[in-house]
Amino acid sequence: MSGWGGLRAMVAAVYLFALGPIVITATVSFNAANQSRFPPLGFSLRWWAEALGPRWLGPLLFSVELATAASVLAVLAGFPLAYAVARRQFPGRDFLAALSLGPLALPALVTGIGLLQMLHLAGLEALFGLPALVLGHLVICLPFAVRTIGVSLLSIPGNAEQAAMSLGASPFTAFREVTLPLVKSGVFAGASFAFVQSFTDYSISLFLARPGSSPITVTILSFLEYGFAPTLAAVAVLTMIVPIVLIGAVQRFFRVGDFLYETRH
Amino acid sequence: MAGMSDRRFPWLLAGPPALFLLLFFVLPNALLLTASAFKSDAQVLTNELSGESYAFIFGKALYRAAIYRTFWIGAAVGALVVLLSYPVAFFLTRTRSRWKGWLIALILAPLLASVVVRTYGWWVLLNREGAINGALLGLGVIDEPLVMLPSSGAIVVGLVHALLPFGVLTIMGVLAGLNPNLERAAMSLGASSARTFVEVTLPLSMSGVLAAFLLAFSLAISAYATPTILGGPATETLATLIYKFMVSLVDWGVGSALGTVLIVVSLLLLWLGTRLGARRAGPGAA
Amino acid sequence: MTAALALEGLRKSFGAGPVVDGIDLVVEPGEFVTLLGPSGCGKTTTLNLVAGFQVPDAGRIAIRGREMTGVPPHHRDIGLVFQDYALFPHRTVAENVGFGLRMRKVGRAEVEQRVGEALGLVQLAGLEGRRPGQLSGGQRQRVALARALVIRPSVLLLDEPLSNLDLKLREEMRLEISGLQRRLGITTILVTHDQGEALVMSDRVAVMRGGRISQVTDPVTLYNRPADRFIAEFIGSMNFLPCLTEGVVAAGAVGSVVVEGQAVRALAPRAIKAGTAALLAFRPEQARVASGEAGELRLRGRVVRVAYLGGRTELHLEMGGRPCVVDVPSGTVAAEAGEEVVLAGPTSACLLFPAEL
Repeated sequence: MSGWGGLRAMVAAVYLFALGPIVITATVSFNAANQSRFPPLGFSLRWWAEALGPRWLGPLLFSVELATAASVLAVLAGFPLAYAVARRQFPGRDFLAALSLGPLALPALVTGIGLLQMLHLAGLEALFGLPALVLGHLVICLPFAVRTIGVSLLSIPGNAEQAAMSLGASPFTAFREVTLPLVKSGVFAGASFAFVQSFTDYSISLFLARPGSSPITVTILSFLEYGFAPTLAAVAVLTMIVPIVLIGAVQRFFRVGDFLYETRH
Repeated sequence: MAGMSDRRFPWLLAGPPALFLLLFFVLPNALLLTASAFKSDAQVLTNELSGESYAFIFGKALYRAAIYRTFWIGAAVGALVVLLSYPVAFFLTRTRSRWKGWLIALILAPLLASVVVRTYGWWVLLNREGAINGALLGLGVIDEPLVMLPSSGAIVVGLVHALLPFGVLTIMGVLAGLNPNLERAAMSLGASSARTFVEVTLPLSMSGVLAAFLLAFSLAISAYATPTILGGPATETLATLIYKFMVSLVDWGVGSALGTVLIVVSLLLLWLGTRLGARRAGPGAA
Repeated sequence: MTAALALEGLRKSFGAGPVVDGIDLVVEPGEFVTLLGPSGCGKTTTLNLVAGFQVPDAGRIAIRGREMTGVPPHHRDIGLVFQDYALFPHRTVAENVGFGLRMRKVGRAEVEQRVGEALGLVQLAGLEGRRPGQLSGGQRQRVALARALVIRPSVLLLDEPLSNLDLKLREEMRLEISGLQRRLGITTILVTHDQGEALVMSDRVAVMRGGRISQVTDPVTLYNRPADRFIAEFIGSMNFLPCLTEGVVAAGAVGSVVVEGQAVRALAPRAIKAGTAALLAFRPEQARVASGEAGELRLRGRVVRVAYLGGRTELHLEMGGRPCVVDVPSGTVAAEAGEEVVLAGPTSACLLFPAEL
């Protein structure tokens, strides 16, 4: 195909653009000197040692906890939503569908400041920190679960459950034996996307965190006020490894990639 | 299970999560809209309806400039994301390389990298003592280091970098949904590969291009971290202003007004997208 | 006279094995040739090679005497009608049909005139301004046809163009398309798995199997003298009765066999060794009710099922342990399931095939 060579060159350049800065950050984290320079001077693991120290590991684990809670809840809450929208015709169905995908349509930032005000107005300041974060993250993670589970449900023929029931299975058994196994990939994909969304979020976390109870993203951002330091590079790369490992692990068992085209955000 | 076919069953199922969303998503945003319309006294909302928050933000040139800046950054980011992701999406949907899966995963990597990983790298490249200046000075192309940070340009670069994967995914979705026979038909009728692209592929992928642009635009205008890190006091955007007013200055009236502007624009973009037929999947065969 | 299309030694493999394994075919100008075969026989790949969407591993393709090696599709002067029509959804009917003319830099006035003509040919005059999405399946098919015909290609390639239409429409379009083709005299290659289509529309049919052409001849010869057992079964229905040969039978010669204790002489398209098991083959409509005349091949069977098809009735029999189907005009044989019938088999027009495939 003529012109394919030119296309490849263009694509290679874009890949360089996309991956370059990430690679640079990673190399800076091994810099021997306390400077953010590229090419780096010397090689040292001291920043990594710091990154794995308690000061950073604390928020990192906090983020993992938070993301786990958010993704599990997202799947639990998203399933009934997705099921109702996919399987039943009822008045208000379109509204429900729009509602469940709503948090994707509006910026998380705005929901964040909205929640900030609401909690203050309701006198629920005590919730700031983990509880408020879980609530906020659940809001922004729910659409992912609804979407992927919805896609899974739609790929099952609509009368599969009815066929099972005609053969004598109770509605619950039909659900358990027919539907549940077939939506597994949707559930895990949804949980994975929700986890990543929660783990990398700062827009909503900025407003709902409190000192001592803040995710790693917010912690990093506040340290940036003092300028860049290689430690931050190491911590940042660490925050990238967690989602990659997770997605990689889930991809082994479930074809998460299939749900990508459906994913917005 | 009683009432499976009951008309109320879906609401029984979906009720609690729906209620949750109403309470913690719809309500806060509605609150924002109303808060912006009331006179505020620090954190306390009074009962007086007043447009003073809006007058404030639209009155002062500083804030008007910030809003305007936010939108032109959004447009620039949208356009650049489309320009860069189209070739990649085209390549990924057409290539028969066995590394295809890996290549797709790689272009999505920036999604998993937190904003700090991304912008840190750009900072290292773009700052006064950074790698790009170092290279240009060393090659003798320039005598004095370029000041690329902080600037709106740097924000655009950082945001394009962050949002590229969304563009690629969106356009890939549309291109992959195109009927391959359409291109073969064009070729059989005498159109060269280039002509086929212009006459058939490009027009039919426009819905995806539009969707990608709108997506990148709406994500760019609400971005907080990248403008904060790569920008400075002279390059305030809507998001950075919102943070300032909500957290530092604790003027929630103005903060809410700014937030409302974001909400309205986001909804407008959604509506526009639907009107113009922005889609994330391609047309099938005719 | 230069052949309109000449295929010589075409070969193409995709990984596992050869999909096209040595195709030789010469198509004369104005001929309608069908590539017929089950899915996987390589007919679509052959079409793609002729169109230029695939490059052959070996062999040559010549259109009107011009070598096509290295020539891309848009320089081959072909017209293609796809199975799913592949109409451009973002263009009107007129723009679709005029596309090929535009690529050939034909002037606007002439394009308009020729598009109008082409649409008239397929009976879609007046639909110039519609979009494909607003048309029915049958209408889209005609637009696809018009689009390929208007450029007056050297070769028209039809890739299962009727398979998405319902039965009635399909039968109508078969006659329309072959009628059009005869009027315009465009050399046409049709690819299909539907042998009814092949028989009705073609001047010659090339039966393909395993990437090769098993037999290429006119429809009548194909139906009455299939070259091997596979073709015999693939085209129409065929009954096979086991019999024993009396001697060697050379290919194309008439041999003597014994069936149900009676001697029959039948034509053997393939050679059969002496004394081997063979199969006597005849078409269901070639058997009739026994009239008691001497010299008839009398076949005794038990009716298993009677299938009434309107004008004709199918009798499903069990004959000597073997299934047999006989096709008679309705009302000529009064038989019910379980009854014994005696039929007169065909005396001439029987075929003989070796028992092993």
